[in-house]
Amino acid sequence: MAKSLSFGQYYQAKSFVHSMDPRVKLLLLIAYLVTVFVVSNFFGFALIGAFLVLAIIFSRVPVFTVLKSMKGILFLIIFTVILNVFFYSGEYDRVFIEWGSVRVTDSSLIFAAFMALRLSMLVLGSSILTLTTTPVELTDGIESLLYPLKLIKFPVHELALIMSIALRFIPTLSDETQRIINAQKARGGDFESGGLIARAKAMIPILIPLLVSSFRRAEELGDAMDARCYSGSKGRTRYKRLKLGYRDGVGFVVFAIVLAGVIYLNGAFVALV
Amino acid sequence: MRIICKDLTYSYDPKKKPAVYALNKVSLTINEGEFFGIIGQTGSGKSTLIQHLNALLPVQEGFLSVGEFDLSLKDKKKYKKQLKELRSKVGMVFQYPEYQLFAESVFDDVAFGLKNFFPNLNANEVAQRVANALNAVGLNYYEVKDKSPFDLSGGQKRRVAIAGVLVTDPEVLVLDEPVAGLDPAGKKELMALLHSLENGRRTIIIVSHDMDEVLENCSRIAVMQQGELVKIGTPEEVFNSNQSYAGLNLPVTVQVNNLLKERGINLNCNFKTEQFICDLERFFKKTTNN
Ligand SMILES: Nc1ncnc2c1ncn2[C@@H]1O[C@H](COP(=O)(O)OP(=O)(O)OP(=O)(O)O)[C@@H](O)[C@H]1O
Ligand SMILES: [Mg+2]
Repeated sequence: MAKSLSFGQYYQAKSFVHSMDPRVKLLLLIAYLVTVFVVSNFFGFALIGAFLVLAIIFSRVPVFTVLKSMKGILFLIIFTVILNVFFYSGEYDRVFIEWGSVRVTDSSLIFAAFMALRLSMLVLGSSILTLTTTPVELTDGIESLLYPLKLIKFPVHELALIMSIALRFIPTLSDETQRIINAQKARGGDFESGGLIARAKAMIPILIPLLVSSFRRAEELGDAMDARCYSGSKGRTRYKRLKLGYRDGVGFVVFAIVLAGVIYLNGAFVALV
Repeated sequence: MRIICKDLTYSYDPKKKPAVYALNKVSLTINEGEFFGIIGQTGSGKSTLIQHLNALLPVQEGFLSVGEFDLSLKDKKKYKKQLKELRSKVGMVFQYPEYQLFAESVFDDVAFGLKNFFPNLNANEVAQRVANALNAVGLNYYEVKDKSPFDLSGGQKRRVAIAGVLVTDPEVLVLDEPVAGLDPAGKKELMALLHSLENGRRTIIIVSHDMDEVLENCSRIAVMQQGELVKIGTPEEVFNSNQSYAGLNLPVTVQVNNLLKERGINLNCNFKTEQFICDLERFFKKTTNN
């Protein structure tokens, strides 16, 4: 069970990308994702793809490990591609197959290919972030980025705390789930056969104990925090401070170049058409 | 049912090099009707071993049979087919079993396993067997059956959880640290309860950290260390060999006996506390009389 959750697992290494500031990585990821969604031609994809490849190379994470993150959404990609190939209803020049209202056209093929590229690049890019950034760094980064929201009394620190606690408890809960599944299996619980409703019902003996134990853990954690005099963000100092370095500058510049290229190509393409 | 296990080897991460084994060539036989103890330091592979007994973990290497069930079958179909029957006959009580209660009433929770294994029982038979199981763990059926399991005390919850396993009348009952987290009186009570479940045929296997506990209760003991079986035998055999076991304290009586031995006093006795004290008294009476 724990093994199938490879999406978003930290890969320990010393690399250029690993030592970048998590805030910069987050911002770059957001910019990257937006770019991936506005790119509208193959040259643009090539350019942003080159950026992705560069990021993978400089993260020193084995390519295979990065690609593994695709496993979870492979089905989704295939599904989208099939849907788009057959049911895309934009303008088209040539029809390859026609069968009732279903037709495969040149633009449906291109659109499907773009969709597949976008989805894969989205997942690969995000997993580069999670592979090179520890969950703690990530929440620190998010907290720092959301800092301005404090002005409107948004509980930024509390939100970040909730996130880091949630992250911390993922492995604990997944162990616990496995234990409960085993226990109910030993009592003849069957979670693998039957229809959808039967299976959903079969989950109850797992979900209830899991819920109960989560509440228990939450209470214990709350008590432990009280016992250590935790009192929110006021006057709290940090053990690790985030600092910008030259790598962050390099990251920004490289991305800016890619972005400029993509915008230029998009424009050029539009002009051509 | 007799449990035979030969060179059982298991790794949680078989691809890893060098291989880390949670179980390494474990061979043992547990006979029908034994009260068997498995003891070892934390991480020594006790839980891994017992999870094999009702096929929650598949046999990776080696041989394992439980009664007429061969769990090292390579034929997937045959293997799967026997699982349900096996699990109805080998009851498994996990550590802190109270955390797996889920139903609205004690009755429903105890009946869960029964209905899974024997879907054809009628309501009367179900009620009868649930009542038997609850009574067997020392709870009053009429008092608790309609209560929510979450409203019970910790010790009561654990009893209900054990009843939920007992309800299928398993021939082998495996308990992982059954007394963990109970107070001394509760421990004693639960152990007495487990002894009351012995019927000559039923095999009871307990996992423990506590040497004294297995010494007092078990007819035979297996000692695990880093996935290996380092010793197996009666309590006398396991503790008489002057051997110490890493990470485990010898039972108090054994320690006292060793001290006496160093001073040339050989009691040559049973290590169970009551008997040991008797022997000690008799010995001192003899010496003062002389
Ligand atoms: N689900 C798991 N995944 C990976 N490794 C595991 C898993 N469960 C146990 N192990 C490892 O296998 C080894 C044996 O664990 P096991 O749970 O059998 O020990 P144990 O004797 O029951 O210990 P304890 O007394 O703490 O319950 C340990 O080194 C442990 O880290
Ligand atoms: Mg264990």
